Amino acid sequence: MITLDARLRSNETTLAVVAVVGYTALVVTSGGSLLSGSAIETFFAYLAVPVLIGLAQLVALAVGQMNLSVGALGGFVACAGGVAMAQHGVPVWLAVPGALALGAFVGVLNGLLVVLTRINGFIVTLATMTILTGLQYELVGTTTVSDYSPVLRDLGRAAIFHIPVVFLVALAAAVVLAVFLRRAVPGRHLLASGGNPLAARLSGISNNRSIVVAHALSGLLIGVAAVVTLASAPGVNQSIGGDWLLASFAAPIIGGVALSGGAVSVSGTVLAAVIIRLVDVARAQFSLNPSWVNFVVGAVVLGTVVLTHRRGAA
Amino acid sequence: MTLQVLRRSLADQRTGLVLLLVLLVVVFGSLIPTFFDDRFVVFPLLRDVATLTVVGLAQLAVLSIGHLNIAVGRMAAFGAMFMGLAYEQWHLPLYAGLVIGVAAGAAIGALTGLIITSSGVNSFVVTLAMDFALLGFVSLVYSELTTSAAFTTKPAGMQELRTFSLADVCVGPVCGTSAIPQLAIFAVLAMLAVGYLYSRARTGREMLMVGSNAVAAELSGIPVDRRIVGAHALSGGLAALAGFMLAVTSGSFTATIGSEFMLPSFLGPVLGGTLLTGGAVSIIGTFLGTSLTQVIRQGLTMLGASVQSLSISLGIILLAALSLDRVRQVISERKAVRR
Repeated sequence: MITLDARLRSNETTLAVVAVVGYTALVVTSGGSLLSGSAIETFFAYLAVPVLIGLAQLVALAVGQMNLSVGALGGFVACAGGVAMAQHGVPVWLAVPGALALGAFVGVLNGLLVVLTRINGFIVTLATMTILTGLQYELVGTTTVSDYSPVLRDLGRAAIFHIPVVFLVALAAAVVLAVFLRRAVPGRHLLASGGNPLAARLSGISNNRSIVVAHALSGLLIGVAAVVTLASAPGVNQSIGGDWLLASFAAPIIGGVALSGGAVSVSGTVLAAVIIRLVDVARAQFSLNPSWVNFVVGAVVLGTVVLTHRRGAA
Repeated sequence: MTLQVLRRSLADQRTGLVLLLVLLVVVFGSLIPTFFDDRFVVFPLLRDVATLTVVGLAQLAVLSIGHLNIAVGRMAAFGAMFMGLAYEQWHLPLYAGLVIGVAAGAAIGALTGLIITSSGVNSFVVTLAMDFALLGFVSLVYSELTTSAAFTTKPAGMQELRTFSLADVCVGPVCGTSAIPQLAIFAVLAMLAVGYLYSRARTGREMLMVGSNAVAAELSGIPVDRRIVGAHALSGGLAALAGFMLAVTSGSFTATIGSEFMLPSFLGPVLGGTLLTGGAVSIIGTFLGTSLTQVIRQGLTMLGASVQSLSISLGIILLAALSLDRVRQVISERKAVRR
């Protein structure tokens, strides 16, 4: 257990060093313009959603499941929230909790489908992903919904000491999740089920309940990401969430989450999201083709995979 | 005896698929008068079925060893990119380009397999990362080498392959039907080759053993790592072939080829009874599963459903089919216990 903790911690130290060195390098090459208040605000504002969807995937991975419906659910919830506020006059204090509840509800459905049908979670969430993409399109069609709650909009742009509120929301979600997985009984059960389902069952833990809880939490976090999108994006349309799926896996994988379940690193996931954001900033700074981001992230993950193995073998 | 055969064939997932397929064709045929129009409905339908069956086979190849290939669409794009290069930059004939592209797909698949076997990390992560890398790489190459993000040079024979059907093949005075596209030949050949591999060839049987129990396979002297690399190479090669078929259909080689392959690649094999856990594959089932989803797609489109609302029904069908399968399994288990 100690060695495992040490290994995770060393992984996080590496990530932190990479993030700091990368950021410093970008500050130097940009001639210091990255240190201005507005640049810092933009940097963190675009970090909120990647952190949240990374965490949503992390919860599913923790119990040994995958959630392919991350992007589709996020897009669907964001569009549902936008349409409810703009076209049906739902007040913002009702729409935000409603969006969170909707996300969690679909998560519970995912979990129940996995538990009741015994179909592989991969296929279940692939199916719900397809359904939700269709529903999202049914909701908004080809239009962009943007004339909703100015209050939420202002909150999306608000910043405290140049740190955007939406990023603080994401950070708060990360802290709550870390405490839940470390201290709360259901959180420990969830990790136990992910690490060794048989041992967990023999210790009196319900694996089924762990799976449903994990999917519900995953859905809830996606709900938060959808609300953040509603607040900070210029509007919601059918393209929201389209590029979330790959990003949601990249952060936990680089962050050192065991994909077989049982071991997670919340801080590693957050740091990995920061690093991916740095790649994106570098891309913009040197005005490279956006495809470079995908290429570099893919290469980094493949490199991480191979290096982790080498370290494990040594 | 006959009763037993009947019962066994009723318990077979594929019989259900055939019955469902026939039922749907009859229903759509009676609702839509033009449903059997050979040139404008059946021909494109069969062309899509052929392409997506090959996509399904590409996924089936890795499912056989209990792995997944998330990068199946991007491997198709990677292979197609080499075909486009071969035609536009190297001025090669149609089939030489096809061979190069399929070899490129197989090579990237083999590389994926090597990374999996050398790191021991699960195939989902490795193919997902490969998907990222290829997504970036392929679009970079297109934006560097082309002006319109597409290789548009058509070698001799490509246009014919796109439009010709069996009506253009005549033996004496007898010609084939104009409903079956010539492009389907590639799918038939792929099915025969993959079918032979898994039912007759030693390599294929060993892949299935790796899929059902890798440890037991290792202990029985099967070169597990080589079979894993082989299955991924096969997957990449078949994906590239599917990329070729799609490019022939659409008329040009672009970076977006294969971006819609992920869902169909699982729909066909899974509906057809291929296990996700490895060890059992069904080639005919993959064809039937693909046909079923495409017939539903076509029928609903002709009834006026929007492209996006189709995905709702496809997702529900996937869940319903697999849930029913589970119910059937539970019932047969109970029967077995009672006996």
